[in-house]
Amino acid sequence: MIVNKTEAILGRVILIVVLIATVIPLVNMLSAALQPADTNPTGLTFTTDPQWINFVTAFEKGNVWRLMGSSLFIVVFVVPISLICATLAGYALGNLRIRGSRFLFIFFILGLTIPFEALIIPLYYEVQGMGILNTQWAVIFPLIGLYMPFSVIWMRAHFVGVPQELSEAARVDGASRWQEFRSIQLPLARPALSALAILLFLWTWNQFLLPVVLISDPLNRTVAGALTFFQGQYSSSIPLLNAGALIIIVPTILVFVIFQRQFIQALLQGAVKG
Amino acid sequence: MAISRTRARLARGPVALTAIAATALLALTACAPGGNAPVANDVEVSTELTTDDVVLTIADETGFPLTDELAAEFTKQYPNVTFNVTRDTFQNLTAAAPKLLASDTPPDLIRLPTIGDTVQDGLIANLDPWAEAYGWDKWSEAQLAPLRVNEDGVRGSGSLYQLGLGYSITGIYMNKTLAAQLGIDEVPTTIAELEDDLAAAKAAGILPIMAGDLDGVVNFVVQAAMNQYNDPNEMMDWILNVPGATYDTPGNVKGADLVRSWADKGYFPSDINAIDYASFVSRFQAGEGLFTFNGNWAAADTQAKMGDNVDFFLVPTAEEGGKHVAMGAANSFSVAAGSKHLNEIVYFLNWIHTDPTARQIVTDVTGAAPGGDPAQEQPTVEAGSLIEKALEMSAVIGAENGQVDFMANATAGIYAGSIIPESQLLVTGQITGQEFVTRVQDFYAQELAG
Amino acid sequence: MTSPIAPRRAAAKAAARRGTLSGWVFVIPALIAYGTFVIYPLVLGIQYSFYKWNGVGPSEFVGLKNYIRVFTDPTLLASIGNAFVLIAFFTLIPVSAGLVLATLIRSMKPGPFSSLSQTILFLPQIIPLAAAGIAWSWMYAQTGAINQVLNAVGLGALARPWLGDFQTALPAVGLIGSWVLTGLCTVLFLTGIGKIDQSLYEAVRLDGASWWREFITITIPGLRQEIAVLVTITIIAALSSFDIIYTTTLGGPGRATLVPGISIYRIGFTQSNVGLASAFGIVLMILVLACVLPIQRLARASSK
Repeated sequence: MIVNKTEAILGRVILIVVLIATVIPLVNMLSAALQPADTNPTGLTFTTDPQWINFVTAFEKGNVWRLMGSSLFIVVFVVPISLICATLAGYALGNLRIRGSRFLFIFFILGLTIPFEALIIPLYYEVQGMGILNTQWAVIFPLIGLYMPFSVIWMRAHFVGVPQELSEAARVDGASRWQEFRSIQLPLARPALSALAILLFLWTWNQFLLPVVLISDPLNRTVAGALTFFQGQYSSSIPLLNAGALIIIVPTILVFVIFQRQFIQALLQGAVKG
Repeated sequence: MAISRTRARLARGPVALTAIAATALLALTACAPGGNAPVANDVEVSTELTTDDVVLTIADETGFPLTDELAAEFTKQYPNVTFNVTRDTFQNLTAAAPKLLASDTPPDLIRLPTIGDTVQDGLIANLDPWAEAYGWDKWSEAQLAPLRVNEDGVRGSGSLYQLGLGYSITGIYMNKTLAAQLGIDEVPTTIAELEDDLAAAKAAGILPIMAGDLDGVVNFVVQAAMNQYNDPNEMMDWILNVPGATYDTPGNVKGADLVRSWADKGYFPSDINAIDYASFVSRFQAGEGLFTFNGNWAAADTQAKMGDNVDFFLVPTAEEGGKHVAMGAANSFSVAAGSKHLNEIVYFLNWIHTDPTARQIVTDVTGAAPGGDPAQEQPTVEAGSLIEKALEMSAVIGAENGQVDFMANATAGIYAGSIIPESQLLVTGQITGQEFVTRVQDFYAQELAG
Repeated sequence: MTSPIAPRRAAAKAAARRGTLSGWVFVIPALIAYGTFVIYPLVLGIQYSFYKWNGVGPSEFVGLKNYIRVFTDPTLLASIGNAFVLIAFFTLIPVSAGLVLATLIRSMKPGPFSSLSQTILFLPQIIPLAAAGIAWSWMYAQTGAINQVLNAVGLGALARPWLGDFQTALPAVGLIGSWVLTGLCTVLFLTGIGKIDQSLYEAVRLDGASWWREFITITIPGLRQEIAVLVTITIIAALSSFDIIYTTTLGGPGRATLVPGISIYRIGFTQSNVGLASAFGIVLMILVLACVLPIQRLARASSK
């Protein structure tokens, strides 16, 4: 794209303004978190005596270690199981082109439009009937199901892009469907798989509505689901509240920064197909 | 020929699917959900504490550490009993309470501000058998009455379903330093005097009333105003869902209009709808506002932050020498019908009302009256302290029979669904007192009907 | 007399059927998860919507009464109205801003600045919405950063508690959504622009067209698919918003920021009116479909 000088400079300025606007709320949280815990800070201030101790206090009083453990427990089950189910289904729909794959595709797409709120109340009673209410399983199983529409469509989009000749070549060599899947398709699918894994990790870690409704003890929810609990406990201390919220955000930012290359890569591969 | 046969087969697919779906839907709508309330545990009433190791679960709200202290003291006295206290925000807890109680592992004790449908659904335990065994008939009946529910589901009489961890009283805190600046050396005893003080503060550039309504707490002010003009018995009937009771009374309208006039005169903070409970308390304690309407539970903390510079008094009456009316309620807790430790948890409740150390903890931590037998010795309080004032206020209200429950407890949904949003409009001068009262009454009628 | 092709065709069909069967095995795990935890609750929800039920006791069949209430109760209608207002903030602003920002970033030489921009812009997407609510509540407070800036530039008269003011609460909440979603749109558009044929741009530039003309005639049409996807995602986010409002205003002041998500939660759990809440949930889903299907149809039509 060829642009002239003024447009380039104007463009840069706009971009920088937007970047600052994006980052300010987070920087603001940091500045508030560093104030002395029993004060009511005013706006964006940079204290000369940063109270890093607030983070320690928030970590202990907020039981953050236990919250992270609980979130990790949920993630460890939700993400791998979802990936497996979605990849298998995506393969079947995108590559095998089985009979009824078009119907199944539409069936999954409709699931994308169902808002969680429409399901949360019946989900509550269903989970109660299964006897897993108020445990992490109450969030794990429904999340796997709720992620299926997006994940299946995502993986299908990848498999659709893989040329049929590859499978046929493997088949001619005498490989069974399963072998072909394992040795040829899976390695190819790795970028799409890792991008999906990151997305599912983020969505699970940040899950709010389901844990709040289905798990009564805030300490057994996800870290995001326990944020209202933080608000209740620390409502009188803005610095502690912000410190607690920041502690919760840090793992997601870390994961994203570390894996962003894979992530953007997968997006670039045009996983966004109609 | 093959083509038409295939086309016919393809066409049959979606048609068959739709037929199946329709039948399934019809079948489902034909069978009704629910109707499977948990069966209450049948247990023999005992007033002896077991010697087995027991873990009791308590579901409580955030920001009120009383249960932690009581639990710790109980475990100290009876080491075989330990507690697991879970906390959640007030709104999460009230939304979750019926579900928690209906689950297979309900908490033994739960903070339950509004009874709602829990009694008729068989979710909370009837405490009458234990009341008889422990002899609670010696306790103040006026305190226990709102905790009873009769067969028709009306509160105020019948079987006992709740007990209070402390029985609260509300009033006004005054910043004595600011008052001195305005030349006020006594607390107001009539509404007229109160209004004079408010006007003086406003004129001098001091915030007259520190209040907040992000989470509805300005209703301490609204109801306090209503209390001085309405018939407390009518208000109690409405709160207890007695059939035929209405909120739309001239007294209530007058009270709401009074609050509206205060809003119009700028007596409230300009950002009132962004201030929540914790914020308005901490701002008052930091010196902002001449008056604040709050309850005894804030007394200990306020005294710690403000020392001798604060006073606590009952809301002034409309006329000189009139009867005092104040909101007060049990810090109500209920025992789950499905609890596996009914005897133990009720023993704990009885202990809270009778053990001297427990009673002292209740008063020290929350400034509330400990309830129980009025003949029993009251906890010691520091002379001249806010807590002493609070207990005195409780005594006055008790003697004048002016205790009224919080209107927010009238039904399960009325606080979040109507009182909070409408009060937010009232205190920013957007609706009149009559509109406030009418809308709340409409919501009440609709919720009770359906 | 059957033709010689028939036996081979029959054999091929038999093989295909066997293949289909084993193919279906691959789909079964996903179907079970989806069916059990999405379709089944959906059907249950439809069932509940025809009853009056408090979740524990016996229920009473009331036919369409709950649905009628959804369409006649002013509070519920107001919440739907608010959700539609949020579409302006969750969809219009992020998609437009995303288009502009993606073009800007694309026009720069790829390097550390452009990839840093992408990372920063995407940050709001990866933090929990509840945390975004807390961060922005603090920014919007009477003593928060926004008022601080206004005071500093002499516009102190405009300072107010943004989330507590009846006029500004909903836009304020909406802007939080814009903040969260703009990065997503930008990054997705960036990947889309990469697929547009560069020669188109050169041709237009040679004709002396401005940046604007190039934007309108090439960039936007070329991103049609991505625009459709993002408009769909953001509309769904607007109509089913919950997290942000729950951690900032809880639907207040008054009902200024009450959205269907909060309403359903409150009706279903705090007020224990499961039937009405379920009906509202189903209506919400139909609303989402009504908004999303036309967009999908438009996108598919234009791509043909």
